[in-house]
Amino acid sequence: MTDTATPIDAAIAPSSGRSLGIKTKTYLYAALLIVAAVVLVPLLTTALGGFKTLGDLRGNAFGLPQTWMVSNYTDILFSQRYWLQMGNSLLIAGLTVFLVLTLAAMAAFVFAHVRFFGSDQLLNYFLIGLMFPAATAILPLFIRIRDLGLLDTYWGVVLPQVAFGLGMSILLFRNYFRGMPSELFDAAFVDGAGYFRFFWHITLPLSRPIIATVGIITFVGSWNSYILPLIMLNSESKYPWPLGIMVYRGEFSTDWQLILAFITLTIAPTVIVFFAAQKHIIAGLTAGAVK
Amino acid sequence: MAGLELRNIAKSYGAVSVIEGVSLTVADGEFVALVGPSGCGKSTILRMIAGLEDISGGEIVIGSEVVNDLTPKERNIAMVFQSYALYPHMSVYRNMAFNLELAGKPRDEIDRRVQVAATMLELGPLLERKPSQLSGGQRQRVAMGRAVVRNPSVFLFDEPLSNLDAKLRVQMRSEIKQLHNKVGVTSVYVTHDQVEAMTLADRVVVLNRGVIQQSGSPMQLYREPANTFVAGFIGSPAMNLFDATIVNGTARTASGEAFVFEGAGKSTEGQSVTVGIRPEHFLRTGQGSSLTGRISTIEPTGGQTFVTVSIAGQPTVVTVSGDDNVSPGDELTLFTTPRQVYVFDAASGQRISENAHLRA
Repeated sequence: MTDTATPIDAAIAPSSGRSLGIKTKTYLYAALLIVAAVVLVPLLTTALGGFKTLGDLRGNAFGLPQTWMVSNYTDILFSQRYWLQMGNSLLIAGLTVFLVLTLAAMAAFVFAHVRFFGSDQLLNYFLIGLMFPAATAILPLFIRIRDLGLLDTYWGVVLPQVAFGLGMSILLFRNYFRGMPSELFDAAFVDGAGYFRFFWHITLPLSRPIIATVGIITFVGSWNSYILPLIMLNSESKYPWPLGIMVYRGEFSTDWQLILAFITLTIAPTVIVFFAAQKHIIAGLTAGAVK
Repeated sequence: MAGLELRNIAKSYGAVSVIEGVSLTVADGEFVALVGPSGCGKSTILRMIAGLEDISGGEIVIGSEVVNDLTPKERNIAMVFQSYALYPHMSVYRNMAFNLELAGKPRDEIDRRVQVAATMLELGPLLERKPSQLSGGQRQRVAMGRAVVRNPSVFLFDEPLSNLDAKLRVQMRSEIKQLHNKVGVTSVYVTHDQVEAMTLADRVVVLNRGVIQQSGSPMQLYREPANTFVAGFIGSPAMNLFDATIVNGTARTASGEAFVFEGAGKSTEGQSVTVGIRPEHFLRTGQGSSLTGRISTIEPTGGQTFVTVSIAGQPTVVTVSGDDNVSPGDELTLFTTPRQVYVFDAASGQRISENAHLRA
């Protein structure tokens, strides 16, 4: 095989080709530090606050704890309520993610590859859903869920979440699918694959970045969702953690340090999941943007 | 294996007609190249043969069966794409095996056929690699391997070499030719590169604006182009064209240069014509009327030098030997041979002159 010299690709070349001046560098780092602080300070304050006593928290909100009250955390970790609420949140989020991924990917595939009468109108109909805040639809939604007999069930929360999540997810999936080279589809068609086999054997394996992106967005949305579970769920045994905190606050209205510890423990899973999928997310959000 | 026949096929997008009544017969085992400039409809014709594009009119016949309404798989064609279109997440082996897997062939048969194709294309050591770990030429060979394993009736190539660098392109060109000699499958090859078409094909079909201009062996197109389009398209550097009028049986330009040609009997006095002379057909020595012009630029390529000379007020490319000493500003005197002067009717573009090649 003939070896040819690889041309230098500016996009992946190791350095930018010119070094920054000291002023620019200082400015850059200062700006980045400020932005990072906006995110990190509240997170750290919350996590550290969980280790304090109430008096310590009132007098010294931002500093390190005078005595580390590890029991604040361990008490929650060993309580049944924490695990129950985490389980509920996980179940609701898991079902939502699964349904959104399955439905949105299949719908987006059709919008990206199959030309049929009314496809544009149908797509627009889905996208209108993007402009609808869930809160405005809450009354009709409640009535519909009640009529379906799904009040106080997990499905009563999962199904509306899926419905509201589909618009954005279809849009993201469709843009990604359209960015795939059309010759790939031609090749598969010549190889004897129909739409279903192309979707299953070619499209899905190549869509890992966008699946991760949509999955994480949906997961975090569901994990932090407050108003839907508040309206649909009545029994405390089915509460996800945002509702659980409310109960917590009612019982320990003065014990802010416990609430901070509880919040820290509940957002920990999302932070971990996000870091695990970070690489894919960034690839997924930018993919399809340029071509 | 089977022959291929296009019967008056047409393609239009709404009111815009892209292909108009193209008829073409490709014999069993023949290698035909479709050439033409960008947008002439050659890729569309190929995609219509493949079944990737609907046909607005006419019939496509493979073997003895009309295949208009059949899927690509049912037509039993194989296609090699410009961008290779390898499945990036599959190994070379699975890329080649994919269509056999979809067809539900038994595992041992798949393995045997993939191994045969891999041996033929020297892909043996690469079978477990992913396409991203291959060089351009290797990817091209995998794309051909994927086409070979299924024993297709017709091979379709859609500009398969245009993504490769010049050196590799020449190498892959000969590999495609070898592959065709080994497998002997009816092949249709689309390219915009006339050198590629002429070196590879048994027969070259020149297309322009969705209409076949001429079809014939490579040398036939070069020696006896049917019209000005084919004359200008085939040959590199391109043929020089001059506007002229027939005066006393010779073609005379407005500035007075006269060209003697064969077949003047078919022309009429005062007819507007286009005179075509290939750069390599200008001679430094000769008899009869000569042309003179001043050299403006010189492009050495080694064995030959392309010289741009101003003749009849227009830049004219002349090929001279690389050994000749020429420099810009020099005056060049050139002669032509009547048999190598092409004369076309200016209105219709059809050739008037007789340029039949006489074997010595």
